[in-house]
Amino acid sequence: MIDSILLVDDEDLFHLVFEDACSLLDISLSLQSVTSADEAEKMFKKWFEENNTEDKPECVFVDLNIVGSSFDGIELIRKINFQYGNHVVIGIISSSNESEEQAKAVHAGAQFWIIKSDEIEPRLEEFRNDYDGYKNRTAPFKIYR
Amino acid sequence: MIKIDLNTKKTLIDLYNKKGIGLEGNITKLIDGEDDEEFKEYLKTCQTKDEEKRKKRLEMTKKIQKQNDELTNANNENERILGELQETLREVEESRLTFEVQNRELNEWKQDNLRLTEELKNEMVKAEQAKIDAETAKQSAENDLDLLQKRTQNQLISTIVRVALWIIVGVGFITTGVYVFTMLMGKDTQVISAAWSNMFGILLTNAFSIIGTIMGIKYASKEE
Repeated sequence: MIDSILLVDDEDLFHLVFEDACSLLDISLSLQSVTSADEAEKMFKKWFEENNTEDKPECVFVDLNIVGSSFDGIELIRKINFQYGNHVVIGIISSSNESEEQAKAVHAGAQFWIIKSDEIEPRLEEFRNDYDGYKNRTAPFKIYR
Repeated sequence: MIKIDLNTKKTLIDLYNKKGIGLEGNITKLIDGEDDEEFKEYLKTCQTKDEEKRKKRLEMTKKIQKQNDELTNANNENERILGELQETLREVEESRLTFEVQNRELNEWKQDNLRLTEELKNEMVKAEQAKIDAETAKQSAENDLDLLQKRTQNQLISTIVRVALWIIVGVGFITTGVYVFTMLMGKDTQVISAAWSNMFGILLTNAFSIIGTIMGIKYASKEE
């Protein structure tokens, strides 16, 4: 089970879907959701500056296009990985399946890409099975279709 | 894992049994039931109920999410159609303006044509009048010319008659004078008398012939 998860997605309804799916699949008991990349960046910046590793989530799911944010999900991943100390399992959760964007995400340090759909549970279940590989950085970048 | 004392466990179980209120959420997964079978059963019941609720909520949320997506798509489609309609409306408005301009130009052309037709009619009337005037003038000129020709003819005839009469009278006088002179001088008048009478007869004949010819010409001219 993942200790704590941070979801960055502008869609409130998806927060509920994700929370319930994670709870039902026993993926994580601790889930925090924010609606903008700017808000997530502030949190990581604070944890980085305070050297706080306790509150930092173990895994981060980031939407690709976050409406109302000053930058997109790939840029947030880049910032978390290259500016705010990394040490989290991080990837994209989006309805988009563009290979160009996926290549950019890999370049920014994303470890996985989950494609959103009505049936998100099978993908999350598969992700849960691969999670240890992401945590110890042995699993390659994977797209969950 | 969280451990709970026996009294709290009993209170929680009693609350559930009496009022149906149980623990909810992920906290139920973090409480240790230890060896208390009754509390373990209570926790299992709470977790099952929570799972059922979550499943139901997940189903509902997905449904709403799907409806939202459909509404968003429908809204996008409506906006697209609205955009197309506005574009069509703009094109129709442009066409209407174009037609109005063309119609105005056609009306102007029509007015010009009517004006030109009117002017043409006036010019035709004038031309017709000018033609009539010209024909009248031509007729008048022809009449004048004819009159002039006739007058000239008459003058010529008159001159001829006068000259002819003068010649006849002159020849008559000369012949008569020669005959009188011959008689007064007592010369032989046989030849001159025959010549005089012949001459006189010829002159008279010619004179009447000339007069007749002139009268004939005058008569013929009047007939024309």
